[in-house]
Amino acid sequence: MTLSGGLQVPLWRSIAVYRFASLAFALALIAGNVRDYHRPYAAIPIVIVLIGWTFAAVNLFRRPDRRRWPLLLADLAITTGVVLATPLVVGRDALSRGTPSLAVAWLAAPVLAWAVAGGRRLGIVAALVLGAADLSVRPRITQSSLTATILMLLAAVGVGHVTRLAAIAEERMQRAAELEAATRERERLARDIHDSVLQVLALVRRRGADLDGEAGELARLAGEQEAALRRLIATGSPPAPPGTGLTDLGGLVAAYASDVVSVAAPATAVLLPADVAAQVNAAVGAALDNAARHAGPGARVFVLLEDEVDAVTVSVRDDGAGIPPGRLAEAEREGRLGVAQAIRGRIADLGGTVRVHSAPGQGTEVEMTVPRVVA
Amino acid sequence: MTRVMVVDDHPMWREGVARDLAEAGYEVVATTGEGHQAVRIAGATRPDVVVLDLQLPDVSGVEVIRGLLAAVPEVRVLMLSASGEQQSVLDAVKAGATGYLVKSASPHEFLAAVERTAAGEAVFTPGLAGLVLGEYRRLAAEPPEPDHGAPKLTDRETEVLRLVAKGLSYKQIAERLGVSHRTVQNHVQNTLGKLQLHNRVELTRYAIERGLD
Repeated sequence: MTLSGGLQVPLWRSIAVYRFASLAFALALIAGNVRDYHRPYAAIPIVIVLIGWTFAAVNLFRRPDRRRWPLLLADLAITTGVVLATPLVVGRDALSRGTPSLAVAWLAAPVLAWAVAGGRRLGIVAALVLGAADLSVRPRITQSSLTATILMLLAAVGVGHVTRLAAIAEERMQRAAELEAATRERERLARDIHDSVLQVLALVRRRGADLDGEAGELARLAGEQEAALRRLIATGSPPAPPGTGLTDLGGLVAAYASDVVSVAAPATAVLLPADVAAQVNAAVGAALDNAARHAGPGARVFVLLEDEVDAVTVSVRDDGAGIPPGRLAEAEREGRLGVAQAIRGRIADLGGTVRVHSAPGQGTEVEMTVPRVVA
Repeated sequence: MTRVMVVDDHPMWREGVARDLAEAGYEVVATTGEGHQAVRIAGATRPDVVVLDLQLPDVSGVEVIRGLLAAVPEVRVLMLSASGEQQSVLDAVKAGATGYLVKSASPHEFLAAVERTAAGEAVFTPGLAGLVLGEYRRLAAEPPEPDHGAPKLTDRETEVLRLVAKGLSYKQIAERLGVSHRTVQNHVQNTLGKLQLHNRVELTRYAIERGLD
């Protein structure tokens, strides 16, 4: 989870602010306590390191390409060094009298940096390293000396979590932006095509519809191309919200529309769990195959998608030859009706029902109903 | 003679349609490619039927239909559109269009649709029936409003709409349900009328709430 995008910038900035604030706090404590130190002059190089590394770290961490292992390790090592130098400068006696350590809150900065750069786990690692160093220099391990380590661990978990949230939010924003750009481009293309090519194709088809022979054939081909192009640029209903695991069955079924297949559906999305939608869609495809094979030449097929409160119904009706009574059940019993089985099997798996209605001369209708499972 | 106006932004298409209409004995009183202009011309030429492409460059189909009905309240609007513009077709029907035909329909189907529109009948494609059916279900699923309920279909109307959506002709539906052709037609018309009435009430209510009346 190492995204270096826009939402991480404020996190790094607040770490920089923390570094300066904790530096000021540490310097104030050193100035106030330097008389009690075992080796007061040895505090000078420590102060230089504190100030120097604070400015260096803030500067170096500003560039995203530098927020990698070398810098993170250097940050941790230098801070650990300052912590470990504490007994040498302050002295064990002064420490046990209650004189504060050199780094105080300053030592938590690498924990925050690690947590933002690498998430909760790295933050915890840094907190444990610094906590161990801090405890090793304490003369006694008491409740209050443990507090620093526990606070660092909590900070690591908290900051790591926030970083993860920021990364997720950023990913979502980016996806939304991409989707919007793609949609806009698609709409522009659709407008252009609609204004030009489609109109001419429709006109050719219209003018040539009554002509015989080759001209009529050309008109028919133009019409087919027109329908295909329309389908291609059809915007349809907006896609289901990402991340919900839902799919718009209407969008799937709309793809079957053609010269001979009419698709009727609600204007709003018919949302179903993705796998359910896929199964129903496959069943509709099977029913359409069946119609294409058995309805006879010139037959048209009508698909109707209905969104009821507790169920979704799809009907596939052809206006072809139809099946004589009894034939359907007979064929199904003998296992010859592969298509019907494919449809029934899929729909039954979803807890739904299939009704087949047919009569000679009246076409065949397959009605599939799938219960809507309330989430 | 029935007076027809053709509104479509593509000149070739527009003239082709106008010629077909003239040959079939209609009086084409105007042709235009812009929505605003269409509304202005309609006020002056008072057509009986407007053949309207839903996708015009300047205004939405819904706005054109509202403008046309305001200028000539008794005008009948037959809209033509590509498939795949479901929401705009539904909105246009709610705004007052009484017929819908896909542009790829044959000249024969087109002339039949104009004739029926002129006679005051609703012209439904199976696709439009599916949209209207879906809209009633959507309205029924919405939380009920305090002072007036959403429009509802009777069982018979639902049955008729479903059969239209499944591609049956009015004649086939009449045979299947054992009623007259005229009854089927009335049922279809009623489904549209209730939706348009509801839409008008909603618009008025919205206007009053916003203090615009």
